[in-house]
Amino acid sequence: MSFIDFALIIDSIPKMLVGIGLTFQLLFLSLALGTALAIILLLLRISGRWYLSAPTMVYIYIFRGTPILVQIFIIYYGLPQLEFVRDSIFWPILKEPFGCAIVALSLNTGAYVSEIFRGGVLGVDRGLKEAGAALGLSATHRFIYITSPIAIRLCLPAYSNDVISLMKSTALASTITLLDMMGIARTIVAETYAPYEVFISVMVIYLIITWTIQRSFGWIEKRMSRHVRIEA
Amino acid sequence: MDAITGWWDDFFWGSLVVVELFFVALILTVLFGLIGAAAKLSKNRVANAIASGYTIVFRGTPEILVLLLFYFGSAVTLTAIAQVFDPEIKFVDFPPFWAGSLAIALIIGSYATETFRGAFLGVEPGQVEAARALGVSNLQTFMYVRIPAMWRLALPPFGNHMLSLIKDTALIAIIGLEETLFVAEQAIGYTAKPFTMYILVGVIYLGFSTIITLSVMMLERYANRHLEVGR
Repeated sequence: MSFIDFALIIDSIPKMLVGIGLTFQLLFLSLALGTALAIILLLLRISGRWYLSAPTMVYIYIFRGTPILVQIFIIYYGLPQLEFVRDSIFWPILKEPFGCAIVALSLNTGAYVSEIFRGGVLGVDRGLKEAGAALGLSATHRFIYITSPIAIRLCLPAYSNDVISLMKSTALASTITLLDMMGIARTIVAETYAPYEVFISVMVIYLIITWTIQRSFGWIEKRMSRHVRIEA
Repeated sequence: MDAITGWWDDFFWGSLVVVELFFVALILTVLFGLIGAAAKLSKNRVANAIASGYTIVFRGTPEILVLLLFYFGSAVTLTAIAQVFDPEIKFVDFPPFWAGSLAIALIIGSYATETFRGAFLGVEPGQVEAARALGVSNLQTFMYVRIPAMWRLALPPFGNHMLSLIKDTALIAIIGLEETLFVAEQAIGYTAKPFTMYILVGVIYLGFSTIITLSVMMLERYANRHLEVGR
């Protein structure tokens, strides 16, 4: 057994980078869909009507209380067992592993992000909302012009953490035959049986992505709170 | 539902493996978290650098990658070592249970490192100074002043880490540990009822999550019982 096989590293990195496109597709599509879902869940949750907020709480409880891997398996392997799913209009999406991965990741991240958003909304000073009400703004206007801008700033750090954990979860798509970076890495390891070289190389690529996400959010945060900084 | 009949005992033993895994990994997580926090808070630059590297790597890479690296990496190394002694040996692996719990504990431990670090910094300096003024030794200050004060602060985020920990145990089925997800795969092989089986796994995990959430709530109440009196 030789030490480190550099030729293999140099050979396998370009192969794995082919999968980065799929990793990004999984990340951005499920982030967009998940965030949209999170906003809907948030609005239902803070609607103040129990028949809207109770089902939302159950949804969040279920999706945060079970492993994402199990959710992926239920959607990809489990749903085809049900006949009405196979007959439904969603079948073209759910029969493809890519569609299933997107659905699973979006549903999962939606549950987490809606809780983050709720934290942000609850963190907005009541006095500001009261001031808005005193000025005669409607509830909708207060939410759009007063609550949202402040809430977004408050929950940005937690949101960036969730984007990173979503990015890490995209690697689980390799368990349902998708060839994202992780899937390609696993294939190469199965062929060469050189786990250290291949897995550590792909680890470095993931670390670079994490670092980029962190830096981008750091920049956005700084920009969004620039009026606070000048005062201080 | 009929499909599950006959698999109950398998799911029970699988759940038991999850519980064992959880407790082993939990102990290791606390250990790694405390060592990491101590290293981050120390004045030693080398310790600082190692701890930072540890948290960056384990918080920034997918859990499944760490797990596979540990399992297959250790298998390659162990096989190579074994072949030195006996060239006949084809494959030796680190038991999936231990490779898995170590990998998960290192991942969650890196999150716990940050939590514990924050909690230690949150201990009021006055309390530590008071202990010192009373002539309490460093070790005793740590055990009787710092730890009781910090764990109250660390408990809510640590509860979340425990939830991540229980959920990550599902990943270990990928390297062939006979826990619930693995049992479900076997059951599907016989019954061809993937939806039923995976939903059952989901329900089992939901049960575990609920137990952890409730336990953390009780622990929090216990930890803050001295603050209750005034209310």
